[in-house]
Amino acid sequence: MGAPPTQAALRRLAVTRRIIYLLVAVAVAVPSFCDLGCEFKPSPWVEKIFKKVESLKPGSPILLSFDFDPAAMEELYPMGLALLRHCFQNDLHPILMTHWPGGVGISKQIIEKAAKERDKLPGRDYVFLAFKPGYSNLVLNMGESLQGAFSRDFYNQPTAGMPALEGVRSLKDISLVVGLAAGATTEMWIAYGRDRFGFDLGAGCTAVITPDLYPFLNSGQLIGVLGGLRGAADYEKLVKRADRATKGMQAQSLTHVLIILLILGANAHYLWRRTRPNEKG
Amino acid sequence: MLVVLFFAFLAASAAKGRPVGAPDDWWLARLGVVVAAGLTLIMYSFLYRDNPLFKIGENLFVGVALGYGVILTWRQSLRPEIIDPLFVDPPHIHAFWMELARRSAPIVLGILLLTRLSRRASWLSRYSYTIMVGWGAGLGIPVTIHTYVLQQLKPSLGLISKALGDTPAGQQADLWSAALPILGDVIILAGIVSVLFYFFFSVEHKGAGSFVSQLGIWFLMVAFGASFGNTVMGRVSLLIGRMRFLLHDWLGLGP
Repeated sequence: MGAPPTQAALRRLAVTRRIIYLLVAVAVAVPSFCDLGCEFKPSPWVEKIFKKVESLKPGSPILLSFDFDPAAMEELYPMGLALLRHCFQNDLHPILMTHWPGGVGISKQIIEKAAKERDKLPGRDYVFLAFKPGYSNLVLNMGESLQGAFSRDFYNQPTAGMPALEGVRSLKDISLVVGLAAGATTEMWIAYGRDRFGFDLGAGCTAVITPDLYPFLNSGQLIGVLGGLRGAADYEKLVKRADRATKGMQAQSLTHVLIILLILGANAHYLWRRTRPNEKG
Repeated sequence: MLVVLFFAFLAASAAKGRPVGAPDDWWLARLGVVVAAGLTLIMYSFLYRDNPLFKIGENLFVGVALGYGVILTWRQSLRPEIIDPLFVDPPHIHAFWMELARRSAPIVLGILLLTRLSRRASWLSRYSYTIMVGWGAGLGIPVTIHTYVLQQLKPSLGLISKALGDTPAGQQADLWSAALPILGDVIILAGIVSVLFYFFFSVEHKGAGSFVSQLGIWFLMVAFGASFGNTVMGRVSLLIGRMRFLLHDWLGLGP
């Protein structure tokens, strides 16, 4: 154990920390005023989800589960919007639900925005099932009967006989499910949904939980992953509609460069101090 | 200092005027943006140092989140699952009794959970917990073994699987495209074995065992690094969102 830091050292540390915060704030703000021209190529895992959606015939159902709340809005809102725009562009029938009670408002906002752009109507072109408690039990229930699990949609219309749900009686009749998650619901969808009912499952998630899903890509339990803001920007690029995720990637890239430089600088400083004869560490 | 900052905030808020053709309730929406901007700045003031405004903002957030949670639970769970089916929707008394029979078990178990609030009656909640744990374990154990163990075995042991001739014909187009997946399989296998060995304490880690254990640490460090890198990316994304809100929605700057 070395000697405790002096008051002067602690003061210097506090000032250094504030300078770093300021630099990060500038790095995030600058791309709002000028285009840095950062180019990126969509990752293969995002392309796989895109191609799977492309392969669905018009009128096919696709289940989207938006399991997040406003805290994860920055990453998952653009992802959900890009996915729904793609669905409506290809005349698919998205069925939207959420396992998070706090996700109802944001899911409604996204689907109504995407639907308005293409003059799509609830019940006829899409279904908004909103929230129902139950988590894994709800998925099992949907695997038995979708109309049994959700007898009415968000707008209080009965799901039985709804044109957008024609031919859909349970999860077995849905070929693709995409879950956007800020928690552990993707793994729940794998365990209780995909492995039991056999549909293809794609995932979109916050950057924090993306590494936890890599093992499921290798095993084929997930067809693809949209990871964080980058995943959303990739999907926006594939649907050829640059929006807030694409704009955010400029700031993201600049901030990453700054953080890498700071790490290299701090390590160089540390090594330089260690090599000085009168100081150790 | 605080007064100066407050007036600077008000001046900045007033700088963005009402756009032409804005709806009548524009001021209401603008008020929401100004309050949100103020609270965002208060929360970020912690980066300078802890202060009373930050404490107020923090407590306000907890209170609002709790109130929002109560309303959501009522609107999304209790009302549609209990109140509406029993007291609003049933067309006749027979339907009421049918619904009550269907829902009585979860309602009773839910009420028993609330007995935790009383020291004398709290033992009743154990019945609910017993069913929850039993149900959860019965449902979860086979699913967990299937999803997290059996399904993961094949890709984890891809090298052995391929050595046993499990690779479909026509996948090995050339040497390079055949070698890369094998290299990946070797790394995955080495990672699994070495990390498992690192947590295997029945044998002393020395000699060759020490090398395998050290390799396990390296794999763990790489995994933690990837996880931390993604966490940084996620947090920066949140900052980008707030910054865009402050610059565009509040101040009206940028394209």
